[in-house]
Amino acid sequence: MELLLTASVDGLVMGLVYALVSLGLGLIWGVMDVINFAHAEYMMLAMYATYFAGRWLHLDPLGALPVVVALAFGAGVATYVVLIRRIAGAPAVTQIFATFGLLFFLRYLAFAVFGPNFRGISWPLASGAIVLAGVPVSAAKAIAGAAAVVTFAVLHVFLQYTKAGKALQATAQSPTAALALGIEVERMYALAWGLSIATAAVGGVFLLPFYQVSPTVGDAFLLITFASVVLGGFGSLWGPLVGGVAIGLIEGVAGTMLAPTFKLLFVFAVFLLVLFIRPVGILGGQQT
Amino acid sequence: MATVLTAAVWAALLLVPAVVRNAYFLNGMILVFIYGTAAQAWNLLGGYGGQLSFGHAVFFGIGAYASTLLLAQAGLSPWIGMWAGAAVAAGVSLLIGYPTFRLRRHYFALATLALAEIVRIVFLNWPLVGAAVGMYLPVRLMNQSWAMIWNTKGPYYLLALALFALACALVRLTDRARLGVYLRTIDEDEDAAQALGIPGRRYKLLAMGLSAALTALAGTLFAQYVLYIDPSTVLDPSRSVLFAIMALLGGRGTVVGPALGAGFLTLLSQYGGGTLGGLGRGYDYVLYGLAIMLVAVYEPRGLVGLVERLRRSRGAPAAGLGPSPVASPATDPRPGGERRPLLVVERLSKRFGGLEALRGVALDVRRGEIVGVLGPNGAGKSTLFDCVTGFLRPSEGAVRLAGEGGERSLTGRPPFWIAQQGLSRTFQLIRVFPGLTVLENMLAGQEHRGEPLLQAFRPSPPEVYARALELLRLVGLEAARDLRAGALSYGQQKLLALAMALVRRPRLVLLDEPMAGVNPTVVERLRQHIRAQHAEGVAFLIIEHNIEVLMELAERLYFLAEGRVVAEGPPEAIQRNEEVLGLYYGR
Repeated sequence: MELLLTASVDGLVMGLVYALVSLGLGLIWGVMDVINFAHAEYMMLAMYATYFAGRWLHLDPLGALPVVVALAFGAGVATYVVLIRRIAGAPAVTQIFATFGLLFFLRYLAFAVFGPNFRGISWPLASGAIVLAGVPVSAAKAIAGAAAVVTFAVLHVFLQYTKAGKALQATAQSPTAALALGIEVERMYALAWGLSIATAAVGGVFLLPFYQVSPTVGDAFLLITFASVVLGGFGSLWGPLVGGVAIGLIEGVAGTMLAPTFKLLFVFAVFLLVLFIRPVGILGGQQT
Repeated sequence: MATVLTAAVWAALLLVPAVVRNAYFLNGMILVFIYGTAAQAWNLLGGYGGQLSFGHAVFFGIGAYASTLLLAQAGLSPWIGMWAGAAVAAGVSLLIGYPTFRLRRHYFALATLALAEIVRIVFLNWPLVGAAVGMYLPVRLMNQSWAMIWNTKGPYYLLALALFALACALVRLTDRARLGVYLRTIDEDEDAAQALGIPGRRYKLLAMGLSAALTALAGTLFAQYVLYIDPSTVLDPSRSVLFAIMALLGGRGTVVGPALGAGFLTLLSQYGGGTLGGLGRGYDYVLYGLAIMLVAVYEPRGLVGLVERLRRSRGAPAAGLGPSPVASPATDPRPGGERRPLLVVERLSKRFGGLEALRGVALDVRRGEIVGVLGPNGAGKSTLFDCVTGFLRPSEGAVRLAGEGGERSLTGRPPFWIAQQGLSRTFQLIRVFPGLTVLENMLAGQEHRGEPLLQAFRPSPPEVYARALELLRLVGLEAARDLRAGALSYGQQKLLALAMALVRRPRLVLLDEPMAGVNPTVVERLRQHIRAQHAEGVAFLIIEHNIEVLMELAERLYFLAEGRVVAEGPPEAIQRNEEVLGLYYGR
């Protein structure tokens, strides 16, 4: 029973991180109807950025956060301007290919530059454990979970209470109507890409203290985040949150009962199950 | 000319091992043929059907492992084992395809990625197949043909060439036969394909099963050739990408494209490997990724598209599209005769969340009748069509269609099935298949009811060609038959959409705003075509805002407002109905 509780709390925290990385994937999906297969690769790059910020600039993750997030925002905008803008109106096949090509490009670029080794950092501030619901959780994980909650809150406020946020929502609902109302749709798309990659980077920064980075770390995350968005349902910020937490919980609980080798296998199986059983998500959403 | 060239290329390939003794070169060619087979297999599903798989390494691996396991454990010849591998691969592919093919294609693409990871992890931990260590083929059987193991390259070369030829032949057959047309309609617009009666999932599954089986055959041959397999060679995710990019770079959805792509990429890494390899393993994949993006942005049709573009810039043949005279039927547009009900809609309701788009609509169309549906925007007209044709599931109510064997319920049936009952529809926003030629668009509209699966490997029968050409002549698009439908003007596309709906001689045609957005000449022609078909006994249910047209064509009108039938009757009565006037004109 206590083991189960420990696993649940652990899964919940991990689920929040999944939700954080899924957020940007769902955002682009909702705003542009483009699925960015390379989304998790940006998280991987943010992890490397955090790693080298620590090694070269002696910045801890909190210190690296503003730099990495700003770079990620820029990378998101650049991705939109250089690649996505040119395929925005193309058939789905072309879009899938383009972002898949991007995934391959970024992953193996990281492979070529950083090599295949796993790298991690130690963060003294987050080295201990704190007690959540009577269960000890590693401080690093708790901080990552908290960062996820804060990011969701910030984005919620941005989308609901600022002019740019409302314009973004309007663009998502109808680009044509938004254009007619004088909203610069292309700028909104660029903003969405910036936010999408920036939130993935927040996930990467706080993941690194307890999850080692390698060029292929995005592999599992791509499928998990995609499953989170699908499971949670589209159309709101809360879909990825619900979906991510659900998957984290499932993985946490089931992971304690399975051999560690098969933990990833289990995640992929859950992903397929979600597709087969409930492709419209927990919160409903539109079916196409 | 082209056939002579093709025959010459194959003959030359066949003679290569008799002339060339260079083992390095032969090795390169054997890999070209093996990978080329997998690329063609991928092309069948991803190129023609537009279902992108990033997990084809799974089928390659299954083929390699199945035959190897059977040979090593049971002493079964790979000549037989390869077919076992193909069968297993096809089975696994259908397991993935069946649930995901009803979803958007992103789901399928990601499901294949997940499958690839699952299979790789399982094989890495499965003692029977040697887990991470892998399996050696029994080299003691060297040069025993039944074991498909030789110490010279010659036999492998011929065997790989034969398999590659088989793959190319299968793709060529698909390209020429109905299956190619059907798969391409599914790729371009699956809903529109379903509206023509094409059972999308069935043909996707057919392509998937064939594709997986063919890839598995390539996998077996690969195992027999390299004599050692492990998860990191035959199940490597980058192998999946390699097959996809070969087809994509060469030109997906063509016969020569994937062959070109396989040759180009394999020989590049064979002979360019010295320069690229020196930079470390990652760089060629970086270039692959870059190449995929460039192709997606600049020439989604690949090398074949580039060649076509060069050829076109040397003088484009412009087809003249002179309007052709339309035979106007002299008969009475409103014949009497038999008036039994054809389509019956009862108490039809459709709710979207809190919005009630349809509230208990009752409507019927009798045989050979033209019925109009009128109403302000948002009245629920298109929702009504979608509920009747199966694109939306009604919340309540029933839809029935009379047929030879009595009435059949259409409620809750899939669109392709409903279309097969003799009901055609067009869409408010025209949905022709822009990448297919005008004639291919017409062929896609042939009768699909009771069409056996294997018929898909044959071309459309001559009657269908004759019917398609006759209709094209009628709508004045005969001269445009070999143009891509996307090159037609808006009005011409509307005429084409109508003609497509008529190929299989439906008993009832639902037209959603056929006259919207076209000039008066085209309106007049559409009107004449509707009348002509009506004279042949086809019934029409038409949504239209052009009241003059409806007044002239329709025998009865329904007036819909806020999801209800407000008025029903002959046009003259509707025109005088105070409530209608109030709702429509705000009088």
